[in-house]
Amino acid sequence: MTELIALLREAAPVMLTGAGYTLLFAVAAMIGGLAIGVPVALMRIAPWAALRWPAGLYVSAMRGTPLLVQIFVIYYGLPSVGVEFTPVTAGVLALSLNSGAYLSESLRGAIRAVSEGQWRASFSLGLGYWQTLHHIVMPQALRIAVPSMSNTLISLIKDTSLVSVIALTELMLATKEVIATTFQPLPLYLAAACIYWALSLFFEALQRRAERRLNRGHAGR
Amino acid sequence: MTKHSNPVARRAVLGALLALGILAVQSPARAADLLQESKKRGVLRIAMEGTYPPFNYKDPKTGQLTGYDVDVAKLVANKLGLRPEFVATEWAAILAGLAAGKYDIIVSQVGITPRREQAFDFSRPYTYSQPQLIVRKNDRASYASLEALKGKRVGVGQGSVFEQQAKAVPGIEVKSYPAAPENLQDLAFGRIDAALNDGLMVAYLLRNSHLPIKAGARVGAVERMGIPFRKGSPQFKAALDKILLDAANDGSLKALSIKWFGVDASRAPASP
Repeated sequence: MTELIALLREAAPVMLTGAGYTLLFAVAAMIGGLAIGVPVALMRIAPWAALRWPAGLYVSAMRGTPLLVQIFVIYYGLPSVGVEFTPVTAGVLALSLNSGAYLSESLRGAIRAVSEGQWRASFSLGLGYWQTLHHIVMPQALRIAVPSMSNTLISLIKDTSLVSVIALTELMLATKEVIATTFQPLPLYLAAACIYWALSLFFEALQRRAERRLNRGHAGR
Repeated sequence: MTKHSNPVARRAVLGALLALGILAVQSPARAADLLQESKKRGVLRIAMEGTYPPFNYKDPKTGQLTGYDVDVAKLVANKLGLRPEFVATEWAAILAGLAAGKYDIIVSQVGITPRREQAFDFSRPYTYSQPQLIVRKNDRASYASLEALKGKRVGVGQGSVFEQQAKAVPGIEVKSYPAAPENLQDLAFGRIDAALNDGLMVAYLLRNSHLPIKAGARVGAVERMGIPFRKGSPQFKAALDKILLDAANDGSLKALSIKWFGVDASRAPASP
């Protein structure tokens, strides 16, 4: 037992630094993913095919290929055509592009779940397309979308472990570095799992707050 | 992630693969020799795994990279008059990163093989090492060669030269592991019958793993480890080879080897 505590104490500085990077990546990619996902969702429900098409292709490509390959292509593939990123930029970009595709689908589903009658009622009151979207449909859609978008955002925290292939010491690689010198995989992997869970709990709390706020008009349910 | 495999997605994947193929063909064509390029920069960018003690690993106390490879890399950078800049990269992506020009050299016990020589130039060898078996302490069978392991399960590192050597012997069931700790843990659990690793690493593994395992026979061919860098830099190769040859002749490479392994691995063993 004392051995275990000594091991964890030795590993703590390295792993907590790694956890800091993991959190940084996750938050940056969440912001990036939302910044990409919202416009893509709007493009996919747009009445114009010229907007729907590229958005559909993007979502299909991002969901249909492994994230690891996407990270590889962005970091190791693009330099040969003259586009070079730092590891941090490449990692955040890959995670944002990937999660943006999933987020856009959650949001598109939620917008579609708002009944067609809402649109017609709004149009009949004289509101335009964007006004209807902004004031009538989005407030309802967001409420529906929060749980499934939270799914994507929380799994993003764990997806950050894949950026270790581009030379970034996030939590998972930091754990492996400690394991390489201490030969104690099980307790250290468990410790890493606890840190991931703690980070997720924080974002779950944010999700609950968001849900409460968006449900203000629907008390009693 | 490919749960919904529709034609569009398949076409997108195909397109991505094609694009990758094109990227792989168009290797970065830089004109200048690596020697001038790095001198102009003043920095030598060196990649290593950072999870491969005692060759290169992060010191748990200081968090700094340390080990035999780090010392060799510092020696090389000093002699070139460059500041060493270390990049810790996972083994799986380390050669891809060199091909993409993310760093100048790899000092991470990269074995010199004909296939790797097609893609990169290598320095003269700076480490010679023979693979060694690791077995359970209570295992009464003793294996004198790789051939003796026919029908047995042998654990090796993913993408390592030991993996290739074990796979070359028909009848051995080869299991590949991402790193040594998992490999040795499975050996202790009895999920594999032997592990094959760098003979220079075995002493360290046995001392630090606290597992019921012991060293087995040295088997297979002597591996030569070199420093790979991008092709088309004859001046850099000449400078690098001279530094390593001088270090081998004046004993400084031997001193580093004795410091980290307790044996001289800087020259080829007389009788394999």
